[in-house]
Amino acid sequence: MKSNDEEYREIFLAEALENFEEINKVLTQLEKKPTDTAYINTLFRITHTMKGNATAMGFEGISSLTHVMEDLFGEVRNKKIELDSEIFAALFKAVDVLEALIGAIKTGQKVQFRGIQTKLKVIIERATTDTPSGVASEKEEDSDSLKPESSKDTNSKKKEKATSKDKKNNKPKQEEKESLKVIEEILDDAEAEEEEVDLPLSDSKIVVSDLVHVPVRKLDNLLNLVGELIIERDRILASYSTNAHSSEFSRLNRISSDLQYSVMDVRLVQVGFLFNKFHRVVRDAANLESKKVRLELSGVDTEIDRNILQIISDSLIHLIRNSVSHGIEPPEEREAHNKAEEGVISLSAFNDSDGVVIEIKDDGKGIDIEKVKKKAIENGLVTQELLSLMSMDEVLLMIFEPGFSTREQVSALSGRGVGMDVVKKATDSIGGNIKVTTQENEGTTIRLKLPASMAVKGTLLCMLEDQTYAIPLSYTEAVVSLYKKDLHKLSNGLVSTYLGKTISVVFLKDLFDLSNGKNLHKRILQSGFDHLHAEAQLHVVIVSHNGRIIGLVVDKLLQQKEIVEKPLFKPLDNIKILSGVTILGNGKVCPVLNIASINNMIFTATLANQKVY
Amino acid sequence: MQSLQEDKSMKKKAQPKEKEGEQKGRAMQIVVFKQGDEEFAMHIDQIKEVVITPSIARMPQTPDFVLGVANIRGNIIAILDLEKKFGFQKDEQRTLGGKNFTLVIESEEFKMGVLVKEVPNTLTVYESEIEESLNVIHDSSMEQNYIKGIVKKEGRLIIMIDTLKIVTESEMNAVAQAVVSN
Repeated sequence: MKSNDEEYREIFLAEALENFEEINKVLTQLEKKPTDTAYINTLFRITHTMKGNATAMGFEGISSLTHVMEDLFGEVRNKKIELDSEIFAALFKAVDVLEALIGAIKTGQKVQFRGIQTKLKVIIERATTDTPSGVASEKEEDSDSLKPESSKDTNSKKKEKATSKDKKNNKPKQEEKESLKVIEEILDDAEAEEEEVDLPLSDSKIVVSDLVHVPVRKLDNLLNLVGELIIERDRILASYSTNAHSSEFSRLNRISSDLQYSVMDVRLVQVGFLFNKFHRVVRDAANLESKKVRLELSGVDTEIDRNILQIISDSLIHLIRNSVSHGIEPPEEREAHNKAEEGVISLSAFNDSDGVVIEIKDDGKGIDIEKVKKKAIENGLVTQELLSLMSMDEVLLMIFEPGFSTREQVSALSGRGVGMDVVKKATDSIGGNIKVTTQENEGTTIRLKLPASMAVKGTLLCMLEDQTYAIPLSYTEAVVSLYKKDLHKLSNGLVSTYLGKTISVVFLKDLFDLSNGKNLHKRILQSGFDHLHAEAQLHVVIVSHNGRIIGLVVDKLLQQKEIVEKPLFKPLDNIKILSGVTILGNGKVCPVLNIASINNMIFTATLANQKVY
Repeated sequence: MQSLQEDKSMKKKAQPKEKEGEQKGRAMQIVVFKQGDEEFAMHIDQIKEVVITPSIARMPQTPDFVLGVANIRGNIIAILDLEKKFGFQKDEQRTLGGKNFTLVIESEEFKMGVLVKEVPNTLTVYESEIEESLNVIHDSSMEQNYIKGIVKKEGRLIIMIDTLKIVTESEMNAVAQAVVSN
């Protein structure tokens, strides 16, 4: 656990950054409209809050700089200083220094801030001393006469009525007027005081905000605890299930489920938060390649787990750069194809059953399939024989293999053959799927299907030699029964047909033997088949990952169950074909199969065999 | 658990002896358990508890001596059979072989259990009684890495081991295997 101090520092940093962004934004707006009091008040308030926070945390640099800035804005608010371009230049400089100071909290660097601080001080001093006092008081009077007009009017009217009888007498009226002025002054003073009191009040309102900043670390912890609670609940339910009063637990069941979904809900963020950052990415990438590209966003309010968004953010950057660099053609080429000069990349997100789909679509030239095939063979990713068996989708997915790039020349942005495999790794790690569709001269669509939350996983439980295993439902297509006659030997593996398609079938037991490095003879993936009784019925779970479909043969199918997955820890963190474990209701440990890596393993095993022949 | 407690009370009795043990060096408590016919020991700080071996889920892609994982009070723990690791038992099957108790070892990084046949005993030894860096061990093999020393006491010969190091080596095995299978 981190100490309290560090925790406070984290919160301060987050707040300071937010405040800084706000100052930056408002200051820019103010520059366009230097007389807007609302902006000035906002700036005064933010710098005031920041000064307070920084002083409390003991960050001297930030506190003294924001203090001077606060003074300056205070004077501007009191109309003692007129904003001009020189002051704005100084203020922007100060904001930059402030950013550096905030950054320095993390890095521990030393930042020079005295220079700009003195400059601001000089501006304030010049304004307050140089202005003739007469002008100042005149201004004050001006403002005075404007503000309390209503009260003065009623007052003076009363007075006028009272003095109407001695209208002709000038002296008492003047006296009256003088006394009136005194009253006015008192009133004004009171009002001024009221204003002073008002300020800290409005500040305290900001402190008690409707928003609570919570470090993600704490949410993760909360989610883990809820996960354990669910496991424990299931255990208790299972042990009392023989009892007739099972309805006794229905309330517990409902409350804990609600709790779980509430915690999951707290972690959801809108994808727009990430999407909006891509305008800049697209702009920079397009400039570098001297192309014209526009980014269109849709479904920005779709919600997704914050951690998932973080994991895929790098992948999305790669994909978008890739679309600019490989997808969109240069303007001349686009015109030759009767397309608008400006290319369009659309980034959209939407909910789909239990997951979120993110689509990156460009209207570029599309992917050249023949080039992909050629490159894949050159780089040794596949063999000619295997290629002829692969579907179009499978061929396209090879652009996500490590060490693959169709571009002949390496450009600054993409084309080094790294990057796209990062996308695959990231989506695999969170149980997502990638699908690529492309049309020559129409463009390419890359579709990422991601789970909306990582907290619970829908799984299918199955048995193999007295051990229960869980298969994630996000990869499960169907469950079928096959007989021995439905399976056929093909080279080193087994194949069968599912919905008219040829799929490879693997006995889960053989797979484990293979991965244990035992019996490494050539036909290992057929050994389960060889020992089979001719009439035996097989339970096959059809799983698909990125378009590759395989059938896993298990001993027995159990039920569908939502589980809370725990990652594997040392010394078992090298097991690739499991993504984690979970604890079942009966207290036993159940491994969760990692379909993505099993799929890759079978594919590489087939490939290795191909090379032998 | 019981015997551990008993021995802890014994430790109190043993305390007056510490004065005379000053020449022998610092006293420390070790947990002694049998593997095959040999006696092995670990420092008591490494061992969290002793439990009756729970049901074990087998894990693919692991070396033979990793029997699998088990759920001990909500923690997932890797269960190791050191007899297989040391080659005392040539059994190919991953069975318990009557090892009904599990020494639970927990560190920041690792969570694991070592299978034993009997509830282990604790023993107070002095630093001078532990022989480190024996030539015999150095010559024999790589195993020096996890053998910390040998305790000779009352005619017994107890091998002090550092289980965390065993697993670090086994980790390498797992990686090597993964490479083979790919």
